[in-house]
Amino acid sequence: MAAGGGGSGDPLSRAGVPCAFSPQNQAYFALASTDGHLRVWETGNNRLHQEYVPSAHLSGTCTCLAWAPARLQAKETPQRKKRKSEAIGTSEQIDLLALGTAVGSILLYSTVKGELHSKLTSGGHENKVNCIEWHQFNGCLYSCSDDKHIVEWNTQTCKVKCKWKGDNSSVSSLCISPDGKMLLSAGRTIKLWVLETKEIYRHFTGHATPVSSLIFTTLRPPNESQPFDGITGLYFLSGAVHDRLLNVWQIRSENKEKTAVMSFTVTDEPVYIDLTLSENKEEPVKLAVVCKDGQVHLFEHILNGFCKKPLTSNCTIQIAAPGKGKKSTPKPIPILAAGFCSDKMSLLLVYGSWFQPIIERVALNPKEPHMCLVRDISNCWAPKVETAITKVRTPVMNSEAKVLVPGIPGHRAANKLAIPQTEELENKRKLGENEVSIEERLGAMDIDSKKRKDDLPQTNSFPILLTQGLESNDFEMLNKVLQTRNVNLIKKTVLRMPLHAVIPLLQELTKRLQGHPNSAVLMVQWLKCVLTVHASYLSTLPDLVSQLRTLYQLLDSRVKTFQKLSHLHGKLILLITQVTASEKTKEMSCPGQKAKLVYEEESSEEESDDEIADKDSDDNWDEDEDEKESEKDEDADEENEDEDAEEKDDEENGEDRDMTSEKELNGDSDLDPENESEEE
Amino acid sequence: MVEEGVLRVVRSGGSELNFRRAVFSADSKYLFCVSGDFVKVYSTVTEECVHILQGHSKMVTGIQLNPNNHLQLYSSSLDGTIKLWDYLDGILIKTFIVGHKLHGLFTLAHAENSVFVTINKEKPDVFQLVSVKLPKSSSQEIEAKEVSFVLDYINQSPKCVAFGHEGEYVAAVRDFYLSVYFFKKKTTSRFTLSSSKNKKHAKNDFTCVACHPKEDCIASGHRDGKIRLWRNFDDDKKYTYTCLHWHHDMVMDLAFSVTGASLLSGGRESVLVEWRDATEKNKEFLPRLGATIEHISVSPAGDLFCTSHSDNKIIVIHRNLEASAVIQGLVKDRNIFTGLLIDPRTRALVLNGKPGHLQFYSLQNDKQLYNLDIIQQEYINDYDLIQIELTKAAFGCQGNWLATVEQRQEKETELELQMKLWAYNKKTQGFVLNTKVSMPHDDHITALCFCNARKSETPTLVTCSKDGYFKVWILTDDSDIYKKAVGWTCDFVGSYHKYQATNCCFSEDGSLLAVSFEETVTLWDSETWELKCTFCQRAGKVRYLCFGRFTCSKYLLGATDNDILCCWNLLSCTLEWSTKLSVRVLEPDRNSENIAAISQSSEGSDLFVFKPSEPRPLYIQKNISREEVHWGVFVPRDVPETFTSESYQWLNRSQLYFLTKSQSLLTFSAKSPEEKLTPTSKQLLAEESLPTTPFYFILGKHRQQQDEKLNTMGNELVQLPVTENIPAISELLHTPAHVLPSASFLCTMFVNSLLLSKKTNSDEEIPDDEDMEEKESDSSDEENDVTEKVQDTNDIDAEEDIIHQLSKSEEKELRKLRKVDYSWLAAL
Repeated sequence: MAAGGGGSGDPLSRAGVPCAFSPQNQAYFALASTDGHLRVWETGNNRLHQEYVPSAHLSGTCTCLAWAPARLQAKETPQRKKRKSEAIGTSEQIDLLALGTAVGSILLYSTVKGELHSKLTSGGHENKVNCIEWHQFNGCLYSCSDDKHIVEWNTQTCKVKCKWKGDNSSVSSLCISPDGKMLLSAGRTIKLWVLETKEIYRHFTGHATPVSSLIFTTLRPPNESQPFDGITGLYFLSGAVHDRLLNVWQIRSENKEKTAVMSFTVTDEPVYIDLTLSENKEEPVKLAVVCKDGQVHLFEHILNGFCKKPLTSNCTIQIAAPGKGKKSTPKPIPILAAGFCSDKMSLLLVYGSWFQPIIERVALNPKEPHMCLVRDISNCWAPKVETAITKVRTPVMNSEAKVLVPGIPGHRAANKLAIPQTEELENKRKLGENEVSIEERLGAMDIDSKKRKDDLPQTNSFPILLTQGLESNDFEMLNKVLQTRNVNLIKKTVLRMPLHAVIPLLQELTKRLQGHPNSAVLMVQWLKCVLTVHASYLSTLPDLVSQLRTLYQLLDSRVKTFQKLSHLHGKLILLITQVTASEKTKEMSCPGQKAKLVYEEESSEEESDDEIADKDSDDNWDEDEDEKESEKDEDADEENEDEDAEEKDDEENGEDRDMTSEKELNGDSDLDPENESEEE
Repeated sequence: MVEEGVLRVVRSGGSELNFRRAVFSADSKYLFCVSGDFVKVYSTVTEECVHILQGHSKMVTGIQLNPNNHLQLYSSSLDGTIKLWDYLDGILIKTFIVGHKLHGLFTLAHAENSVFVTINKEKPDVFQLVSVKLPKSSSQEIEAKEVSFVLDYINQSPKCVAFGHEGEYVAAVRDFYLSVYFFKKKTTSRFTLSSSKNKKHAKNDFTCVACHPKEDCIASGHRDGKIRLWRNFDDDKKYTYTCLHWHHDMVMDLAFSVTGASLLSGGRESVLVEWRDATEKNKEFLPRLGATIEHISVSPAGDLFCTSHSDNKIIVIHRNLEASAVIQGLVKDRNIFTGLLIDPRTRALVLNGKPGHLQFYSLQNDKQLYNLDIIQQEYINDYDLIQIELTKAAFGCQGNWLATVEQRQEKETELELQMKLWAYNKKTQGFVLNTKVSMPHDDHITALCFCNARKSETPTLVTCSKDGYFKVWILTDDSDIYKKAVGWTCDFVGSYHKYQATNCCFSEDGSLLAVSFEETVTLWDSETWELKCTFCQRAGKVRYLCFGRFTCSKYLLGATDNDILCCWNLLSCTLEWSTKLSVRVLEPDRNSENIAAISQSSEGSDLFVFKPSEPRPLYIQKNISREEVHWGVFVPRDVPETFTSESYQWLNRSQLYFLTKSQSLLTFSAKSPEEKLTPTSKQLLAEESLPTTPFYFILGKHRQQQDEKLNTMGNELVQLPVTENIPAISELLHTPAHVLPSASFLCTMFVNSLLLSKKTNSDEEIPDDEDMEEKESDSSDEENDVTEKVQDTNDIDAEEDIIHQLSKSEEKELRKLRKVDYSWLAAL
């Protein structure tokens, strides 16, 4: 696990890698990885802000780091020469980063300039620097080391202000009190120093192993009865190497109590601790502890007196990578650091590897005891230089995205067939009536078609193929039929196909129309034929509107570009064909023609009834009629086209009118005369 | 907690960076650029702003390094002053009051104590180049009235003026003229382009000029994309020029490299072209820089270039044409169509960015986070091309969904529209396209809004269009046997008497949808999509629409075209109140009942903050900006402020940002300027002090000793033995290979033989040497420190290589050798 990188060979060195969020609004995350590089990441966009390699990065690896408190952007320098300093910067800027090294030197690095600011060496430590703390007010720097000493630095002059022996063994951790007058230091035991005199004020038992972290958790004592002297009554927290317990201590006025007030238990050694300071009594302290095993434990507690039992966490956060494939187990991703955002309601999590960590802001839910976040970090391994400079992020556009084009269900309005209530408002009222008799009718036709199939095996097999294909949804069979280009063949097939297959065919055609434009050209021929030949049948269907809505929308959107032109085109064709048709009828008044007209003009209900009756009585008649019709095909062509134009016209007139006209079709009124009258 | 001053309008970052050429510091560590009234100092390494030099009261128009002191910077401004700065500490040193409006600033190394400025006299379009003598004085403010005229009738832009090598001449271009003024001869030559006679069709007028740093050569850029190199221009008749032509459009800027070996040019193509040796064949390109190159500058050290771009960024480019850093402000190249949005996830300000991108701008850090490439097409920068525009964007469901609308319209009837719905994928921490809708409407989409009510189970989006419909899109389950998926489908199409739908808005709880159709506002029930109610203000088209929040959720506000702000009560379905106000921005605060309205009057823009339920506004500030305000947004604060004064309470939970016509982002600050300047905590002072490195030790000591060495040159010479004389080497060379011992054995012998042995030196020199070292150690503590270090390492060396067993005298010899050997380095 990456978290175990920090300690070299020493079993009592702390786990993890030195890292810290910048103060105030956590804009940056500084991380000194084991290869000696210091990297500063932007938390907002997870971008590597800068990388710095100290000159002695291999011998003097960075062992600890600390951000300096904010300083002015344009600082007023001490007046070196005789000149008045006028310009003062506007905003405070987080700039300096103090790095402690394994050889005892301390580097001050300026993140704004991207270069070393100063180096604190002379008179400092002789051994590994364990912890650095900035004084929040006077700009002093405190450091402790394996050489048992604590050093107070003046960062202005880069000289040692004071150096004193802090412990009998190495001093591993430091913390400055909120009022800036006391200093906590810890090796195995914890000591509280008065900064002014460098005298020990209190002793605490501490831990069995070196203390790795010390933090003050409160700014004010819990009971405000006595006057507050700046330190008495405050609580602080300590965590140690190889210790799963975090202890909370209280600084009391009497020097008796040396044991911990309470403790928090976590699953592994704490690596990184962050907390929100509580400013008043009611507000609980929120504590986030990152453990060596890569989990984050959150505690929320109002510190108030003793508690014997160790407290367990209110919430645990884990991160896992989804396994590849379906059955593989998810792999855990270690969390490296966690910091509270300034609103105290969300947490910045740093996870992944030390070299390419991912920083994410996670909103906290106080009710959830366990959060497991699934994150895919597989594509984050390679650092992308290009994006680092241009700052462009490309969102994923893959083929899995749904595409809605005009005409496809879901583009215009919902394709809800079953629920007429959610239809468009305009149509709502009209969709009340339902006729049940259609089922019987269809049933009757079903039987009929089967019979026909048996009866006519020798004729052109296209209609049969088509029906079979539609029933079985056989793609190849349908392809064979539908990909024909012969217009006459299409007409014949459509004429002979059973009525019950009309709607499935239309739906199949619709599906294919939505597909490739080339196939659509063929499908339009079919559509024309079906609509002309079976217009009367279609007009009998009560739920036609909802069944063919997709088709309407499709046609509507397809012909939208030249709406008016196609209207005109339809009307002209209608007129011309009518004229030619009337001329033809003058020329040869064939009784067969009349019969054809009767077929079209008659009320569909009657006709279908007749048909059934006829078929019942005499099978041969049906065949005869079919034959007759095919004979008359040439003659009827014009008329078919005529109808075709009308149909098209209808569709082109927009959905609304389309539907209303279909409504009218449902009644017993005839389409042709009405439309003709309209045209005239 | 916070002391309250007067509420002031303050600029909130994102200021313009590309107004003038950026200037490098002498060591290339810093980059200076003009930004409004300020000069900003950026680090070229970290892209961070190190200092802001403020002091000018009007726009800064020019900056130049002080040629006599490279740690100082001159800046000129429209307020008629030239200021001298110490940029390392950000301190104003001196102010020279010139009096005229200064439009450009130039310095010359040879013209001591005088600078050149561009001023305009009398006529608005006639500019003069004059030299200003800067008097020496110890006082802070000095009058510099000694102005001498140099050149007349020049262009306002400083790109059109360039000084020749050694400061012998100055070249200025304007329209079709190139004027060259020779300082020595005090004569002006004027060259006119041949085609300028028929001005109607000529497109080759001058755009910029640059002078070769070493030779008498002037490069000029032209509108037709040609670069002309002028030579022999000291002769009015015999002058020649050669043409370089690669740019297909106007050459925006030219710059010679420090040595003059190459010429850099850039333009609308967003390609930096480097012409080597000023020939057409040898050119190198750095393409895809994102936007029109407006300025090019070169660092005095010669290692860096930088290009300023029209999208408000500066790219720092290495000598080998590799971009190394980008200093990016708020992108300002294009019109803002999307308005100001807040990404709930990153809390960043989101608006149109680079072409086809949404930019995410962090207000807290005043920094661009990233650009999100929505259109994902290579952008070709050309006048004639009609680009795809990103017109609308909206965030929904706590940032889990992003809807974007892009359009391209070539002719009136040929509208291409596309709506994309992006889902935020938590696993990969990025947006993934979920649904793409082509032509969601038949006409322009006028408004886009998500239903952001917390309880709503299905994400809902409403689009309004000029085609008279509004569409409701919902997220539905699209799973099939192959995959589990969700996708957006249209749920409802609504219209009202075929009027154009202009605005839409969901109520806070998501139960009501308000859609305005020109003059009518319709209310729809979001459960059944039934038309509930209509309000009509027959006065004008509704321009803005918003619901009240919290206790005021029963109110609906609308602002109309003819300057009426109405408030309707939804319970009684009546007009609660209306007032005459020419509203430009109507923005509700998500965290309170407050609504901000920014109105436009002849004097400027005024701000009104009010609660819909109360008759009096909470806060009025007149004249927040001289320009028209185009967009505004309330940004929730991370940590609420605690203003107690009633008039500022509306700023407690959110902050109001607004964008003006010139695209400057402004906000309100209640802190008094003094307080902003003094830090809350005592400021941290840290002097820069770096211990000397061993390298410095070698070189620095050498420098110090150079004088001494010059005196004692003869003694210091070390005689290197001739290789033939060394027995070990001759033995090595002459012994047959098969009888030679192993190389490892020979190595020590060989190296030892190369060292100066005891015998070759006279014994007298050794004490001298020791003396010297003692002197050195006395000279400085720091050096002493390093000496010790060096000795330490020597010790370590000695420990490691016991075989060598260097004697002390040999060590000294080594050290001496080192001194001598590195002497050539110091000469560099």
